[in-house]
Amino acid sequence: MTQPSARQAARKAGTLFRKKPRPRPGSGAADRLRFSILCLTLALLLAALFAASLALGDVPVSWRALAAMLGGGSDVSPDARMIVVDLRLPRVLLGALVGMALAIAGTISIAIMRNPLAEPGVLGINGGAAVGAMVVIVVLRDPPVFLLQASGFFGALALAAAVYLLSWRGGTASLRIVLIGVGLSALTGAVTSLLAATGDLAAVQRAMIWLAGSVYDASLLKVERLLSWLILPAALTLALARELDLIAFGDGTAKSLGQPVERVRALMILLCTVISGAAVAVSGLIGFVGLLAPHIARRLAGPVHLRILPVAALVGACLVTAADLLGRLVIAPAQVPAGIVTGLLGAPFFIYLLWGRRHGRG
Amino acid sequence: MAEDERNLNDRQSGATKLAGVNLRLAYGPHSVVEGLDIALPARRFTALIGPNGSGKSTILRSLAGLMRPAGGTVLLDGRGIATLSTRALARQIGVLLQGPVAPEGLTVGDLVAQGRYPHRGLLSGWSAQDQAACDEALRLTGTGHLADRALDSLSGGQRQRAWIAMTLAQRSEVILLDEPTTYLDLEHQIELMNLIRTLVRDHGKTVVAVLHDINQAARYADHIVLLKAGRRVASGPPAQVISARAIEEVFQVRSMIIEDPVAGTPLCIPLAHESERDRRPSQRET
Repeated sequence: MTQPSARQAARKAGTLFRKKPRPRPGSGAADRLRFSILCLTLALLLAALFAASLALGDVPVSWRALAAMLGGGSDVSPDARMIVVDLRLPRVLLGALVGMALAIAGTISIAIMRNPLAEPGVLGINGGAAVGAMVVIVVLRDPPVFLLQASGFFGALALAAAVYLLSWRGGTASLRIVLIGVGLSALTGAVTSLLAATGDLAAVQRAMIWLAGSVYDASLLKVERLLSWLILPAALTLALARELDLIAFGDGTAKSLGQPVERVRALMILLCTVISGAAVAVSGLIGFVGLLAPHIARRLAGPVHLRILPVAALVGACLVTAADLLGRLVIAPAQVPAGIVTGLLGAPFFIYLLWGRRHGRG
Repeated sequence: MAEDERNLNDRQSGATKLAGVNLRLAYGPHSVVEGLDIALPARRFTALIGPNGSGKSTILRSLAGLMRPAGGTVLLDGRGIATLSTRALARQIGVLLQGPVAPEGLTVGDLVAQGRYPHRGLLSGWSAQDQAACDEALRLTGTGHLADRALDSLSGGQRQRAWIAMTLAQRSEVILLDEPTTYLDLEHQIELMNLIRTLVRDHGKTVVAVLHDINQAARYADHIVLLKAGRRVASGPPAQVISARAIEEVFQVRSMIIEDPVAGTPLCIPLAHESERDRRPSQRET
C-alpha cells in the first residue's frame, strides 16, 4: 500500500531531525498541564459523587441543607444532620477508600504479573478472604464484625503467601504465579461452596451478603482504621512507581537494567496483599474495580506508573462511590450491594474496553 | 592523560575486559556449555559466531550476569561479577536480549529513559546527566525523531534501534547484544555495525554481539569467537579465525575463503552442499 513511501519519508525525517534535542517525554510543560487537568477533573467528579451520595437516598436532603451543614451552619434539622453525618458520610468515605485501595492493588498486580487480566484476586486474595470469613460466620453464626474482618484479612494473607510459596522454584515467574493463583482460587471457591452448603441458612445468607461486597455497615471509626492502615503501603507503592514501570518489561530486561527482580516482586506482592486484603476485609468482594480502574487510568494517564497510580486511585474511588450510590437508589428502600453493581456494570464495560483494544494491537 | 595511558596499555596488552573461566551453564539438569574459557578483549568489538544451539545466547546471558553459572566464574576486570549487586553490574554491563517486550503504549523516549535506571537513586529525580545520556543514545541510533512515538506503532527495525538506544543510555563500558541485526534491513544493519565501531573506537566501549552473518562479523569485528555445541572452536582476529576448515568444522558447510575486495577481510563463500548437488538433476527431471 502506501508503506514504502511512508517509510522512506520517515527515514528522511530521521536523518533530517537527528540532531534535534528533546526534553524527556512526560516532563514537558504541556504534558504536566494535561495531567493536572486530568487529576482535577477526576477530583471534581469524585466531589460531585460525594455530594450526590450525601444528598440522595431514602430521605432526600436538600442541596441547601447540605451546603449549610458542610459550611458549619446550625439551622439544620438534627434528623437530617444525623442521616448525613452519621450514616452517609462514613459510608461515602469508606467506599471511596475501598475503591482507592482496590485500584492501587490492581495496578500493582497487573504490572508485576504483566497480564492485563491479573487483578489481585489472582493472588488468591479474594478466595482466601472468602474462606476466612465463611469459616468464622458458619462456625460462630453471628461473629463480631472485627473478627469477621480479621479472618477475612488473614485468609487473604495466608492464601497469597501460599500462592507465592508454591510458585517458588529457585525464583518466581509471573505466569506460574497466575496459574497457581487461579488453581488455588478454584479450590477456595469449592471450600466456600461446601461451607455454604452445610452451614446454617441465616448465617450463610449473612456471609453471602458480606461476600457480595458492600460498604453499608460503615462508621467513621472504620474509615479511620482503614485509612491509617492504607497510608503507609500506598505511599510506599507510589515511591516505588519506577520499579513497577521497569518490572513490567519482563524479568530479563528488568534484571539487565539492574533491578533486583525477585526482591521487587516479593515486596510488591506483599504491598498488593496488604492493601487489597484490608479493602476486602472491610467491604467484602467488590469485583472488577481492581481490574477496571487500572485500565481506565492507563488509558487516561499513559504507561508511567507514577501517573497511573493516583489516577487509578481516583477512578477507583469514583467507581465504588457511584456503584454504592446506584445500589442505594435503584430499588430503594432495598439496597443492592456495591459489589453487585460493579459486577453488573463493570463486566460489560470491561468487554467494551477490550473490544476497543482489539484493533489497537496486532 | 591517565586515560590516554590506560588506553595505550590496553591496546598494547590486549587486556581482557570480560572473561568466563571454566564455565558450566545449564538449564536444570541439561547442560548447554561445559568447561568453557572465553576472554573478551577490552575496547574491542567481539562477535560470537556459531550454529543454532551452539550456546551463544546462553553464554551471553551468563556474561551479563543474567544467568548464574552452574560452575566456573565470570570475571569483569578480573573481579567475579557475583560479588556485584544487580544494580552495580548494570552500570558496567549493558545487555540487549533477543525479542524484548515493552509494556503497551510506551513511547521510545520512555523506553530509552529506562536505561538510566541503574544510575538513579531510589528517590532521586531526573538529572541533566540522565537527559544527556538519553539524548546521546537517541542521536547515535537515529531515533530522536521517534522519541514521542509509541513503540508498538513502529516498524521492527525502528523498534530494534529504540531498544539499542535504551542499552546505550545505560552508558556501561561493556555492551552485550544478542543478534542485534535481526529485524534490520541491510541499510540499518550496516548503520548498526558502524555505530558499534564508533562506540568501540571513539567511546572506548567493549562490545560483544552474537551475529549470524559470518561475513559481517569478519568485516566489522576485531575479534571473533567461533562456537560449536558450547565449545570454543577458535578465537582471535577474523583473519586468523575464519578458515575453510574452521567453517566446515563448525557449520558443516564447505566453503572457500577469499579476501573481501572492499575491506580486505576474509570473505566466506559457501560451496555447493553435497545433498544440493545430488538434488539438482533430479529436480530438473521432474
